[in-house]
Amino acid sequence: MIQKLLFRNQDRKQLIIAMLGAFMGITFLIASVHYLIRLNEFGQGSEILGPNTIIVQKKVTNSSSLALTKTDFSEREIEKMEKLPFIEKVKPVVSNNFDVSFETADPLVPRFRSDVFIQSVDPTFLDVHSNKWHWKEGDSYVPIIMPRDFLVMLNTFMSASNIPQISDDLAMDIRFKFTVSNQTKKVWVDARIIGFTNEVSSILVPESFMTYGNEQFSLGAEKKITQLMISGKENEFGKVEALLKEKGLESKNAQMVAGRLKSVIGTLLLVVMGISVIAVFLSGLVLIQYMQLLMSKNEYEVRTLLRIGYAPKILIHTFFMYFVKIFGIIAALGLSSFFILKYFLDEMFTTGGIYLNTTVSIATFIVLAMVYLFFAIASFQSASKGIHRHF
Amino acid sequence: MANKFEKMKITLNQVMPIPLASMQHGEHSIWGKDIELLHGNKIMLNASSGKGKSTFIHTILGVRKDYTGSVTFDSADISQLNTSDWTNIRQQKISAIFQDLQLFPSITVKENLLLKNNLTQTFSTDEIFGFLDCLGISDKWEQQCGLLSMGQQQRVAIVRALCQPFDWLLMDEPFSHLDDENTQRCLKLIIERCAELKSGFVLTSLGDDHGIQCDQTLML
Repeated sequence: MIQKLLFRNQDRKQLIIAMLGAFMGITFLIASVHYLIRLNEFGQGSEILGPNTIIVQKKVTNSSSLALTKTDFSEREIEKMEKLPFIEKVKPVVSNNFDVSFETADPLVPRFRSDVFIQSVDPTFLDVHSNKWHWKEGDSYVPIIMPRDFLVMLNTFMSASNIPQISDDLAMDIRFKFTVSNQTKKVWVDARIIGFTNEVSSILVPESFMTYGNEQFSLGAEKKITQLMISGKENEFGKVEALLKEKGLESKNAQMVAGRLKSVIGTLLLVVMGISVIAVFLSGLVLIQYMQLLMSKNEYEVRTLLRIGYAPKILIHTFFMYFVKIFGIIAALGLSSFFILKYFLDEMFTTGGIYLNTTVSIATFIVLAMVYLFFAIASFQSASKGIHRHF
Repeated sequence: MANKFEKMKITLNQVMPIPLASMQHGEHSIWGKDIELLHGNKIMLNASSGKGKSTFIHTILGVRKDYTGSVTFDSADISQLNTSDWTNIRQQKISAIFQDLQLFPSITVKENLLLKNNLTQTFSTDEIFGFLDCLGISDKWEQQCGLLSMGQQQRVAIVRALCQPFDWLLMDEPFSHLDDENTQRCLKLIIERCAELKSGFVLTSLGDDHGIQCDQTLML
């Protein structure tokens, strides 16, 4: 009966416009939060290098070929790069300064031997368990991260020898060994693949093994730093790219494309999220304003109800519940349209070759709950203030 | 709060409404004096227009707070009462018939009465209908309140005020639009209800005593 008294003869135009605004705002807000999270996760786990990480080297030009310009990095250049605000970290990629060859050492696999080029990087760039990624003299094997191209090459060899090809998992079970040597001495060290990378062209070994090789089997001349590993900050990959251009550096194209794609879409989603937050905020404000308008239209009714013995909390509860239900409907509609939108967007991403995790992230629901809670608190306070004014 | 004012005595301690402070008040005026309204008394408050009859009712009901002096319910100063106290008082201790009636014109007579009765579930729907029948307006039960005549609305407002328990019934010129016959019908109903509850009332009037034997007559 109170509802009939207080909510009759409303001018619903303003209410419908505010509901529409809030509905669209919520749909785009939760959609942008969901896709921002899923996009940031994209590529994680599938690659051994951490996110937003690239290996760069100086572009080889005619002048560098003629030794007129350097292709190595000085300490000062590295320090300067480290200080840039969009760079998370910069570390040199250390290469072997000793002879090393790599061969199969498993009776089940035919013998395959090749001189190789090994490198080590700061372990913080690698997405591997630290207990797997260590080596000391006397250990039974050296853990290695293998370029996937190397496995393709191995499988080509297997196929040519009429031997079944090997998968990633099987390759990790095969025993390999390194032959480390210089002009005077030679040692054999067992090796085992613990992961693969598409990003690095050489075999990666722990830093301790590289130090051991370079100290014990050094070929003499000091090894120069020709490659750097750079980790850029989230959604600032464009700046890293600009830096590479400015400094005449180059990186593997695939790394750049993935980073650029994430950066561009991430920025777009942030913009959409920002606009959605403003839309939700403004429409929430219009809804609250509508509540105040309703209360002031019903000033006589509210005042009389209080005079005949109605408790303010009953009237506050009536207004509060009315608007909380309205916002509940908006949130439910927003969530439903998000699922519909998500269905089409997931299809689009999949068609475009971007395989995002399609599970709805918990953060999406948390954001929705937070927006709902924020509106509930605001409407309760507004209702409380409006009713107590008449007491 | 229910037991806080078990047998509620209302005391006015030199109360002077601020808008009336500059006016000249008669020797017998209660404004600015110490007055006690004893529980269960039938009190007539006579005054000509503009002397503060509605202000008196609104002050005791806690609607107006623009006065000097103090009003106490038993020993409690009403200026210290909180929202919850006032809600309890308006539901259980003091009922009022306002001069401007304060009905809801957009809803029916039935809804107006049930809206009040639902707070305390004092009467059944049939009993409330019976009150209207006593006052000769039971045929208006389902009619929109705003469409009734002033006299009919006044009777609805009287029935509404009776639909709760009370220690005091405050009536602000409640029969101003009623003929003698209807006034007497209403008075009979009011006096019966007050006797049933052992309650008192304050009836403001322009001088007409409506033939009531009052315990106390006050002037403004």
